[in-house]
Amino acid sequence: MNGLFKNLNRLIFLFFMASFSHNIFSITEFLGEISIEGRSFSNEGFFNQAKFHSSLSVSPEIYIESDDLKKSFSFKPKFRKDSEDSERNLIDIQELHWTIIGNIFETKIGIRKDFWGVTETVHRVDIINQTDFVENIDGEDKLGQPMINISFERLNGTFDIYALLGFRERTFGGKKGRLRAPILVDTDNPIYESNAKEKRIDFAFRWSQYFSDFEYAISHFSGTSREPLFKIDLSSPVPQFQPLYNVIDQTGIEILYILGSMAFKLEGFSRSGQEDRFSASTAGFEYTQIGIFESRIDLGWVAEFNHDDRMENSPISLGTRLTFNDIADTQILSGLLWNKDTDEKNIFIEASSRLKSCCKISIEGVIFTNGKKLNKFNPYKEPEGLFDYFQEEDFLKLEFIYYL
Amino acid sequence: MLLKKNITLVLIILLSSFNIFAEKNKGLEIAIMADSNISGFIDSRSQMKMLLKNKKGQITERSMRSKIMEVEGDGDKSLIVFETPRDVRGIAVLGYAHKTETDDQWLYMPALKRVKRIVSKNRSGPFLGSEFSLEDLSFQEIEKFSYRYIGEELLDGKDCYLIERTPLDPYSGYTKQKVWIEKENYLTLKIEHYDRKFSHLKTQYFRGFNKYLNKFWRPSEIEMINHQTNKSTTLLMEDMVFQNGYTEKDFSQNSLKRSK
Repeated sequence: MNGLFKNLNRLIFLFFMASFSHNIFSITEFLGEISIEGRSFSNEGFFNQAKFHSSLSVSPEIYIESDDLKKSFSFKPKFRKDSEDSERNLIDIQELHWTIIGNIFETKIGIRKDFWGVTETVHRVDIINQTDFVENIDGEDKLGQPMINISFERLNGTFDIYALLGFRERTFGGKKGRLRAPILVDTDNPIYESNAKEKRIDFAFRWSQYFSDFEYAISHFSGTSREPLFKIDLSSPVPQFQPLYNVIDQTGIEILYILGSMAFKLEGFSRSGQEDRFSASTAGFEYTQIGIFESRIDLGWVAEFNHDDRMENSPISLGTRLTFNDIADTQILSGLLWNKDTDEKNIFIEASSRLKSCCKISIEGVIFTNGKKLNKFNPYKEPEGLFDYFQEEDFLKLEFIYYL
Repeated sequence: MLLKKNITLVLIILLSSFNIFAEKNKGLEIAIMADSNISGFIDSRSQMKMLLKNKKGQITERSMRSKIMEVEGDGDKSLIVFETPRDVRGIAVLGYAHKTETDDQWLYMPALKRVKRIVSKNRSGPFLGSEFSLEDLSFQEIEKFSYRYIGEELLDGKDCYLIERTPLDPYSGYTKQKVWIEKENYLTLKIEHYDRKFSHLKTQYFRGFNKYLNKFWRPSEIEMINHQTNKSTTLLMEDMVFQNGYTEKDFSQNSLKRSK
């Protein structure tokens, strides 16, 4: 990371010199956000982790655009400091890229994020960026990915090709962290299938099309899996998981169909290279009621069904979104991930609202019910359900974000 | 005598139905005239300010920019990008309007870098806490309404045609709209919106008209008053620039993702 920063400084300096001497970059904006978060757990952790965790994240942003809007530069680092878990400390470059818009295609070079997918609760095909798993277990927070991305647009669709320059490891909670497996993940000693290790260049493409009420995308990724398998290191007195990053080939599909006020969605993939070939998918619908009970409040419903060849269970995700349509953009999200075979439930409710024009506040409560608690004498035993590890991990989170 | 009476009756019925037909046509004719005032501009962009006023008169401000392009034989393409408040910065809405079919719309969520298709039937709700709905903000294609001529009326000292239009889209939030169109230049000055229960929900005023490129009239201020909540939103159009040479590429999914 240090070497990267040194090079980065040089790059930014060179860039500024070049841009100012030619005076082609006219719009410069300084943005960013500072977030303070506190998580209060209902119980002490199984391994005596603290009940209260807090963290601070800062992500400033510089955005520069040329007069003709054909070129732009974006730089957005992210720093996170956690009060308890050192594995949750982070220095990441979320964005450091140039965009050049040509007549035939658009080129993006550098570190950035890109999202693939259509479903709301579980994201199956989204594979360009590594997940910042310690930020949130929902998998929606990502790490920056170095890449060259070329994008061709036709009337009804987009064809994107990516060369992914290097690999980012997934973040996992440390000894003092919460919402972690009993066996720690040794993030310092990952195993790579590729001889190039984290320097392997991966490739991907996505072709998406839309025809009025119907949209679809086909994608393929060939490279180091973002999702690791785990090898247990028995030589250690305290057993540890070693993340094993295989080289995989994954073909994905996304379908969206709008019928009346309903949106039907499906996304899934077939993956080879990680033991036997397998597939996983999520499918469901989204529906929004406008102005419930003659008020300004909209109520959105999401129901999605999950399938994964690797798992015996097929949990169902249900979600609601209450949009108050007020000046403060108040919103309440709630969700349930229900494993119907074991009746385990993961429930969350999250309310957010703007304070003044600078800030946003959100409160989130998360509970896990009906799982088997860890066995005091043998916590390393294979779990039986989805949330066995999280039975003591119910928490309330308060987050305050200040926008620069 | 009896025959004569009957013929008169038939004539009266025929004439009155012709009259209805003529009035229908007149409503449409006025709408077409009003549309010709704004159509043919090729493309435009503007900076917008939204002032949201609550019951107590407290004002919250939002800013955004928009660009719009006419499409040959179809509805307009538009892109709205939010600038303030900061937490919604970069959120953008891309819309492809169609003459008769439902419009296509996408939302860009910058935090997730995600482009999400909006079910465009859900366009009647309040847009970002304002008194405007997405339906109010989208370009009103002539083909999307049926028209009826009501008569002439004086509005703020200006001679106006008063027409009534009925949205043909079954998912529209309105059952009818009364439109005041000023006679001299065919400028729309006022619209009354009636909700699904036919009660008067909102009134929209268009003010401060400027003529651009010697041809196209645009209001610099649009106010929407909600009579059921006593709240209002004023949209101020600033720095309007016409004919920027936009192409399809400026209204593509990639352009949506770039909309910082």
